[in-house]
Amino acid sequence: MAGIRARGSNFSRTNIFAQFTGLPWGLILLLCAMAVIGVATLHSATFTNPEEAGLPLKHAERFGAAFAVLIIAALVPLKWWMTLAWPAYIATLTLLVGVEFFGVTGGGAQRWLQVGPVAVQPSEFMKVSLTLALAAYYHRIWNDNSGGLLVHIPALLLIMIPAALIFRQPDFGTTLALFASGGILIFLAGLWWRVISAVVIVAVASVPLVYLVVLEDYQRERVDTYVAQLTGAQVNVMDDGYQIEQAKIAIGSGGWTGKGYMEGTQAQLDYIPEQHTDFILTVLAEEFGFLTTTGVLIMWMVILGLGLVIALRASSLFGRFLAAGAVMTVAFYILFNVAMVLGLLPVVGVPLPFLSYGGTVMITTAASFGLICSVHLGKDELLSIG
Amino acid sequence: MSGSRPVDKLFNRRAVVAAGGGGVLFSGLIARLFQLQILDGERYQAIAKENSVRLDLAPPLRGNILDRFGRPLAAHRQAGRISIVREQAGDVAAVLKEVARHIDLSEARQQQIVAETRRQAAFQPVIVRGELSYEDFAKMSLRAPEMPGILVEMAATRSYPRGRDFAHVLGYVAKASQSDLERLSDGTTRDEAKAIRRLFHHPNMRTGRSGLERYAEEWLRGEAGFRKLEANAAGRIIREFDAPELAPKRGRDIHLTVDAELQRVAIDRFGEESGAAVVLDIETGDILAFVSTPAFDPNDFVNGISQADYDLLRFSDRFPLYHKAYDGTYPPGSTFKMVVATAALEAGVINPNERVFCNRRYRFGNNTWHCWKPGGHGSVNMHQAIKGSCDVYFYETARRVGIEKLAETARKFGFGQRWELGLTGGRSGVVPDDAWKRENRGEPWYEGETLNVGIGQGQVSASPLQLAIMSARIAAEGRIITPRIIGNGPRPDADIPLDEPLDGDIMRRMKAGMFGVTSEGGGTAYRSGDLGLGGPRLAGKTGTSQVRRISATERRSGILKGENIDRKLRDHALFVAYAPADDPKYAISVIVEHGEGGSRTAAPIARDIIAAAIRMDSARAPVYTATAAVSGNRPSTGGT
Repeated sequence: MAGIRARGSNFSRTNIFAQFTGLPWGLILLLCAMAVIGVATLHSATFTNPEEAGLPLKHAERFGAAFAVLIIAALVPLKWWMTLAWPAYIATLTLLVGVEFFGVTGGGAQRWLQVGPVAVQPSEFMKVSLTLALAAYYHRIWNDNSGGLLVHIPALLLIMIPAALIFRQPDFGTTLALFASGGILIFLAGLWWRVISAVVIVAVASVPLVYLVVLEDYQRERVDTYVAQLTGAQVNVMDDGYQIEQAKIAIGSGGWTGKGYMEGTQAQLDYIPEQHTDFILTVLAEEFGFLTTTGVLIMWMVILGLGLVIALRASSLFGRFLAAGAVMTVAFYILFNVAMVLGLLPVVGVPLPFLSYGGTVMITTAASFGLICSVHLGKDELLSIG
Repeated sequence: MSGSRPVDKLFNRRAVVAAGGGGVLFSGLIARLFQLQILDGERYQAIAKENSVRLDLAPPLRGNILDRFGRPLAAHRQAGRISIVREQAGDVAAVLKEVARHIDLSEARQQQIVAETRRQAAFQPVIVRGELSYEDFAKMSLRAPEMPGILVEMAATRSYPRGRDFAHVLGYVAKASQSDLERLSDGTTRDEAKAIRRLFHHPNMRTGRSGLERYAEEWLRGEAGFRKLEANAAGRIIREFDAPELAPKRGRDIHLTVDAELQRVAIDRFGEESGAAVVLDIETGDILAFVSTPAFDPNDFVNGISQADYDLLRFSDRFPLYHKAYDGTYPPGSTFKMVVATAALEAGVINPNERVFCNRRYRFGNNTWHCWKPGGHGSVNMHQAIKGSCDVYFYETARRVGIEKLAETARKFGFGQRWELGLTGGRSGVVPDDAWKRENRGEPWYEGETLNVGIGQGQVSASPLQLAIMSARIAAEGRIITPRIIGNGPRPDADIPLDEPLDGDIMRRMKAGMFGVTSEGGGTAYRSGDLGLGGPRLAGKTGTSQVRRISATERRSGILKGENIDRKLRDHALFVAYAPADDPKYAISVIVEHGEGGSRTAAPIARDIIAAAIRMDSARAPVYTATAAVSGNRPSTGGT
């Protein structure tokens, strides 16, 4: 096996074919299955509203495009990715600064950049670029006695600069996701446990400060309703709490096996805002019940587990960090989204990959898995520096 | 796991820790899911069954149509309605049977409703009965709580408070048919088309089928919104949330230039006669009355008209469905003589003082043309010829002018072209010339036909609107007049046909002639000149539009008239006029179908309508600010 792709730069036709067959097809097929579930759920979520009738098809089309992105990203040699890491990071950062000045405001936040007919959301690209940059950084810097604290300071800066820009948009969800997946990479890079403990203590201690000083009013309100519903306090139906409460009714009334496909009364009565995007899980849970919903979550765990195995099998540090970072990026989407829909986290606006209707998350997820596949193909490369 | 370096080992250890953490978090989520769906499942199922909050599509309220003084012509009234929701009814047939015990609901209709509920999503209401009487509404409101899935509600229905008065101008709205939907979604994107379909399937939604309702559909429609409702298990709405951000946006109103009261007076004046009248404000071109009578009642169409009632309208010999003032074109008869005289003066082929001798016969080629007046007019100049409506004078004049010049002048007056008002319909009539005849009849123009056109018979035809415009332009001494009926609303998007100013001196001569008709001895409508208002007089011109050919035999034995001839064969009576004669403010055209003599039937009607307009001051300032004047390719009148 090792001989076939000793050098990524030998990019001949036979090589491409061999690489293609060498892709982790089990993982890819599971992703395709997930997209099919997404289209079916979307169909149920939207069929009663003719204004949304085209969405499932569009979702499928987008998955087609995302799938192409995945395959292309997978076939790009790992070595090229390492070369591309820094330019990609700088470019995305530039775009983020661009949003600051030329961004299009949508849904109350300045997140989009209009490029011809498409609106791009650089904050989403940053999730991938940051993973590339951190992987490249640790690949270059890490050595056997890398337990040293100073090594992690530049990594932290790499996270904080884009995070600060995104927080200003404001996009609390993505900021959190950057910190979470970037933080995990620092953790994987061997940050001392006692530092980790200190950070956790400081973080917990600073929660009241963040709540009072950093958050905007509407963000604070969300946290309030979140706490209110956790503690079981009565929430006003017209608040944000209404959405969570209705989501809980929809999910809760699903029972073991659900009410049947396209039969969910709560879903079909069109009362959950964003039910075809961030709250798509409510439709799944109401119509298919606990068993299927759990099945979907387990399926995601298997997919992420397969990605992590690829990370562990890679020879190069770049490959290991890249695959692990990509897994974390997707994992946080899922954890945040599900926790939010189940009323365990405030509503922060994070979609569920491949199930929620939305183009950016689809592309980000596909690109992440493309990188994981690229790591799989280049798992024997050491990518020695210099 | 590859890698035996210490760094790899550290990474592997940490990765396992991270994976373990992730596993714990995922398990936590699954546990939470278990808690919600299984442990608390029953409670949530109960809540879901009990109350459901939902967003119902709320159709927008259509804009009103008002007259120039703000009187509603098309508005809304509340009507009771019963509908059924399959999901909540369970056994739809059984519930309908229960409903039928209280109100009239045929077996066949019940089956129809059952079939309809099956075709739609379970939660969508299907109308059981609209237009409930007050008793039925009260009865059903009382019983509904015992009948699952039955909704009794009031809904806004389009209404036309003035009934038939503006039937042809307003047109009517109806439930959108398949072809309506195709027309409405023409040129929209797929998503927009879907939204339109969904909206128009709503039981409250109507679309304009004809007239202004159709032309201004988009202006009037408004934007759909949602109602946020909470319903209990039986489908009864127990609460409506206040959600102003979701509310539908009401359609825009339209102000017409018409005076509804003047319209009423005009229609009453026609009585049983069938015909049309157009009253123009000479100053602004505002159409103050646009009468076509008899008419249908647009209210009958809003909820669908029965075939029998429709047939009654369709086959009536007075054509109530037909917009006679705008779509009807008639030979203008003698009212066309001002056009012929203008053409002659423009061409310089006759001196106004030149006399033509009328002995009732005019010979040309091998044929003889006749004047209407037994014994003839004797020797007449132009003024006398108009006043007495001498046919022989105009045979001679038309022959000298020739058809091409005649057609050119007629077009300047606005004949032969459709005036865009922002309504459906509107016909151009015919201004014949050689090219027209070759194209439409496949043969050249014969000079003899020019003589017929000279007295407004033969191929020439015009609508009452065009005749009113002609009258207004003479009264305004040639100034361009653009008729309009939409005072404030969507601007008609088609180009208004271009016409040219007419010569003031010639027009003053025409005015003098028209004054003579009503106010000088020998005028054909001498009795109609006095408006009965003590001062202002009327100036006008009579006309008779021949419906049939009069044979030489009949002419010899006496032309049949009145009771001696079938109504369908009697001539149309026409009258065009303006008033006050010394300071013209209103112009009018009247046609009485099969009314025989312009002076006998049409002139008195025109006189009374215009007197009413003066009395009521119909042209006084409207309540709206007019939509900016239509720009286009019209020449400027020279900064007056």
